[in-house]
Amino acid sequence: MARLRRLPNLPLALFFVALYVAFSLLSPRFNNATNIENILSGYSFMAILAIGESLPILTRGIDLSVGSTVALGGMILFDLSMILGLPGYIAVPAAILATTLAGVVNGLLITRLRLQPFVATLATLAAYRGSVYAISGRQLYPELGTKAIRDPWLLGVETYFDVGGATHLDRLFGFPFIPLSFFMMLAVLVATQIVLSRTRFGLDLKTVGGNPEAARLAGIRVDRTIVAAYALSGFCAGLAAVILVARMTTSTEALGTGMELTAISAAVIGGVSLQGGVGSASGPALGAFLLGVILIGLTLAGFSQYVQQIITGTILIGAVWYDRVLSQRRRRVAERLQGGEHASIA
Amino acid sequence: MPASPETPLLQARGLTKRFGSFAALSDVDFVLEPGEVRGLVGSNGAGKSTLVKILTGAHAPSKGQVFLRGTPLPAGAPLEMLEAGIACIYQHSSLVPSLPVLDNVFLGRQPTRRLGFIDRRTQRERAERLIAEHGIEVDLGALVGNLSTVKQKEVEILKALALNARIILMDEPTAWLSRSEVTKLHRTIRRLKSQDVGVLYISHVLDEVFQVCDSVMIMRDGRVVWNGLVSEIERQRLVDLMVGEKLGAASRAATHQERKPGGTGEVRLSCKDLTRRNLFTGVSFDLHAGEILCVAGLIGAKRSELVHSIFGSDRFDSGTLELNGAPIRIHAPGGAIASGLGLVPEDRHRDGLFLAHSVAENLSMVALNKVSRLGLLRRAEMNGAASRQIERLGIVPQDASRIVGRLSGGNQQKVMIGKWLEAEPKILILDEPTVGVDVGAKAEIYTILRRLRDQGTAVLVISSDIEEVMTLSDRIAVMVSGRILSIHDAGTITQDELVARIGGAA
Amino acid sequence: MRILIGNASLDPRRFLAAYALPIALVLVAASFAVAQPAFLSVGNLTGIVHRVTTTGIMAIGMTFVIMTGGIDLSVGPVMALSGLVAYFALQAPGLPTGAAVLAGLLAGMLVGAINGLAISFLRLPPIIVTLGMLSIVRGVALTLGGPELHQINGQPSYTFIGTGFLLGLPFSIWIFAAVALVMIFVQVKTTFSLQIATIGDNERAAYLSGRRVRLVKAMSYVLCSLTAAAAGIIESSQVYTASATFGEFGTELDVIAAVVLGGTSLLGGRGSVARTLVGVLFLGVVNNGLNILNVPIDVQLIVKGAIIVIALAFSERVAARNQT
Repeated sequence: MARLRRLPNLPLALFFVALYVAFSLLSPRFNNATNIENILSGYSFMAILAIGESLPILTRGIDLSVGSTVALGGMILFDLSMILGLPGYIAVPAAILATTLAGVVNGLLITRLRLQPFVATLATLAAYRGSVYAISGRQLYPELGTKAIRDPWLLGVETYFDVGGATHLDRLFGFPFIPLSFFMMLAVLVATQIVLSRTRFGLDLKTVGGNPEAARLAGIRVDRTIVAAYALSGFCAGLAAVILVARMTTSTEALGTGMELTAISAAVIGGVSLQGGVGSASGPALGAFLLGVILIGLTLAGFSQYVQQIITGTILIGAVWYDRVLSQRRRRVAERLQGGEHASIA
Repeated sequence: MPASPETPLLQARGLTKRFGSFAALSDVDFVLEPGEVRGLVGSNGAGKSTLVKILTGAHAPSKGQVFLRGTPLPAGAPLEMLEAGIACIYQHSSLVPSLPVLDNVFLGRQPTRRLGFIDRRTQRERAERLIAEHGIEVDLGALVGNLSTVKQKEVEILKALALNARIILMDEPTAWLSRSEVTKLHRTIRRLKSQDVGVLYISHVLDEVFQVCDSVMIMRDGRVVWNGLVSEIERQRLVDLMVGEKLGAASRAATHQERKPGGTGEVRLSCKDLTRRNLFTGVSFDLHAGEILCVAGLIGAKRSELVHSIFGSDRFDSGTLELNGAPIRIHAPGGAIASGLGLVPEDRHRDGLFLAHSVAENLSMVALNKVSRLGLLRRAEMNGAASRQIERLGIVPQDASRIVGRLSGGNQQKVMIGKWLEAEPKILILDEPTVGVDVGAKAEIYTILRRLRDQGTAVLVISSDIEEVMTLSDRIAVMVSGRILSIHDAGTITQDELVARIGGAA
Repeated sequence: MRILIGNASLDPRRFLAAYALPIALVLVAASFAVAQPAFLSVGNLTGIVHRVTTTGIMAIGMTFVIMTGGIDLSVGPVMALSGLVAYFALQAPGLPTGAAVLAGLLAGMLVGAINGLAISFLRLPPIIVTLGMLSIVRGVALTLGGPELHQINGQPSYTFIGTGFLLGLPFSIWIFAAVALVMIFVQVKTTFSLQIATIGDNERAAYLSGRRVRLVKAMSYVLCSLTAAAAGIIESSQVYTASATFGEFGTELDVIAAVVLGGTSLLGGRGSVARTLVGVLFLGVVNNGLNILNVPIDVQLIVKGAIIVIALAFSERVAARNQT
């Protein structure tokens, strides 16, 4: 039983399954290959964003600029391939490098200028969005607005794999075609999970967020760790941008608006604590797909988009409440074992 | 300078640390040899914690330097201090609650293989070796946040030992430990001695200092007042020095002060059998109007928890509270205050003051209705009340608009006390009222408390400063490990007896 | 003057910190005036104030929330909701305009009460709660009114709020001025405001001093949503339209930026409505000046970001130097 409890996000996974079942019952069009494809292709990039967002949150910070950073990456990709005509295998890494640097800037604002993460990333949210407009190829060359990107490397990102056919699973049931973005997400998920649980860097992230003073006294280079966290968040934003641009075959100035809120929601639902120090990679990914299942499920079940918004918001608040109840219970258990210090305010 | 047999392991020269105008440390010199266990004693606020912070690199000294085998160490650099081989068992948590014990033990230095992957096997082996060596039992996989305070303390000990340091600082290491765990720790210290490790042992528990230390250093008000072998000093003289001969004279004079055990006889507060699981048990005592009752004890006696339970900011499981003979249930500080209680908390920064606000604003935060009408602040009255308190309490500078965060510790303490005086409580509880306060302000605070008593207030003081207890109290309650052992009228118990009872002589 | 200085004695460094923003405002305004004299025209200046009215009213309420160390991200949708509720109330025959306005305001206060309940009593983190409410309120508004723009026709007393003139100035400016004066008074002179500031300074100390921390905190959220509702009503009456899409994403960030620029720390503690207003004006002047100079929107956004960074880094430095 203790082993099971150690599995990260077990309650969340169960909730996910329960919700999936519920939606399948609510609508016959839910549980089939096409829909699963929709969920996967529609939310893999969000899962990547959520995983990226969880790293700054782990250090007790937050990254409000991911939406603008996605737009930045997208527009750079657009400009490089449409205006400069660079091939995808140059443009894509360049765009991702740019978004990673954007993340580094966030980290420096926080560690060098000692700005609150909320404020620093609020400022870059504005500044990066502005930069998107500044470099927008669509504004410089309006005729490009209607042309589609044709670069094969980039478009190749939007590929679907017939996993069902290859593994012959499609003889058992309608197996969905799996988009490349899902595999990208899996790669990011596995890599992040390994880093968080098996490397010193991952532990340092959790230490900095869990007890910043102890981290400093333990000799951890707190500043460097924080900058790295935001850089990785930017990196994930770049990946998401590539996926989105590949699907839309273009990029817009308004890309990514509001995505940071969804990413944060997914992370929090996934068990990443805003106090820092607690979190995983699987949680945010699960949270993102949970949001996707909810939104698509509600749509198929006939709920209006608007009701979806209400439900999404309620789930977010519910998730934090649940997390708080859990941590209060944990604290009470600990207090019973020890002679607790003064309780905090009721 | 090449290390020679004469070069000490650790040497501090002229360490000084100022916070604004307050000197936490003045010109501290000391020396630690390999294999030496040096005790560091002093009352609350003597500067021990500040010294530890400098030695671990958490603070940089304003003046002075630290040398390791003759080489000067960089200031305010925790990583360099660790690499130099200085480890510390901290008084307050240096652990990460969301990480397991294993990772906490090697915090920031978990052994790695290539690419930064943690070498779990080596880590576990090293940890298990440490556990076996020191006899500490703990589940390596448990999350630190789920452990009891005692176990967390043991993890802190492991963490310091894991550094294989040449010098280990122990800041109140036994505060949460039971007798058997203390014995284990002392055994560990003896083993470290034999490995030529230097240990700095900071403790309130004088018995332990005499048991395990070779030498001892006494600090008072930021200075070292005595330095030498444990065999060269007697306990009584040690306490006298801790407390300071200047105040010793004042306190001797104070012992001739009129004592009023039992006050006016009117029982204001009566505690009957207060119990809270794992904290305190069967606490019963009466507090009378016009007396000062001091609860003496060590850290870990759970006195703070007790008074917070009385005040309503915490709760108790069973027992009753009576105010002027009538039973009462207090659920929140607001209710306590309405019933005439006041609590001056121990940690003024965390619990007592609004550091970004002015003296006048701080002073009015409890008795807000006195300086306001219909929800509107009456600044004139606020300033008037502030001026009065500044005058009576001797707050310096005499500026009601001064931001409290910029006052010295003693004046901050006075502001906090003044806030409660404004509320004119019938019962005032003070938790360590003179911590981190200089000698002059201490004496002034004592005068304030005696004046309060003379005006009929029932005063309950928690103090770990034996001298303070002897100076101030009309009656003394001895609390050990959550129980009231005995209550004495002033004058019926000597300082030595008190020290003996508190240190768990029971 | 005391309102702006607060407790800064005549120490040159703290003087500078206290006056930095007004000085910067004057400098920036002067530069714009030099670059484009039309900036100083009465029409333009009243245009600035007119445009900052809605942000300004919201920033006033947000100041109190931020003073407690919290934040409210849901103000945008609340604007939309209140406008919508007022619109629907206006459809009821025989209902006086005042009642419709009241209905809109009450809708806002209800949202604030829910925020306050979740944050203060359930002790959930403000960012998440108001983030969730942002979604919920938007959804409610859309369910109520759909994404369409609802024309407000034939409601002269209602639209007077946003478009009417009184003694030569837009009526909404009068409302803004009234709200501003009242709230400055509240912030400077009431025990409520002092409690808010001390809760932000040290919540535990406020609790141990017997203050009703949970209630006061919750009230700050009600106040914030109330001002958002007021702004929503003003805006809808300005454009003769009510829509669930108003108060689009970014609104709350502008409001928060204004409060933060005004010197109130996100960590909570002392705050000043007057200084927030200077912050609102400052941002409004910058926006307007950049527009008049035909600076493209991209540069405008970058400038806005840069201003926030510079202003806060500067005040960080000053605060740090004041510690020692």
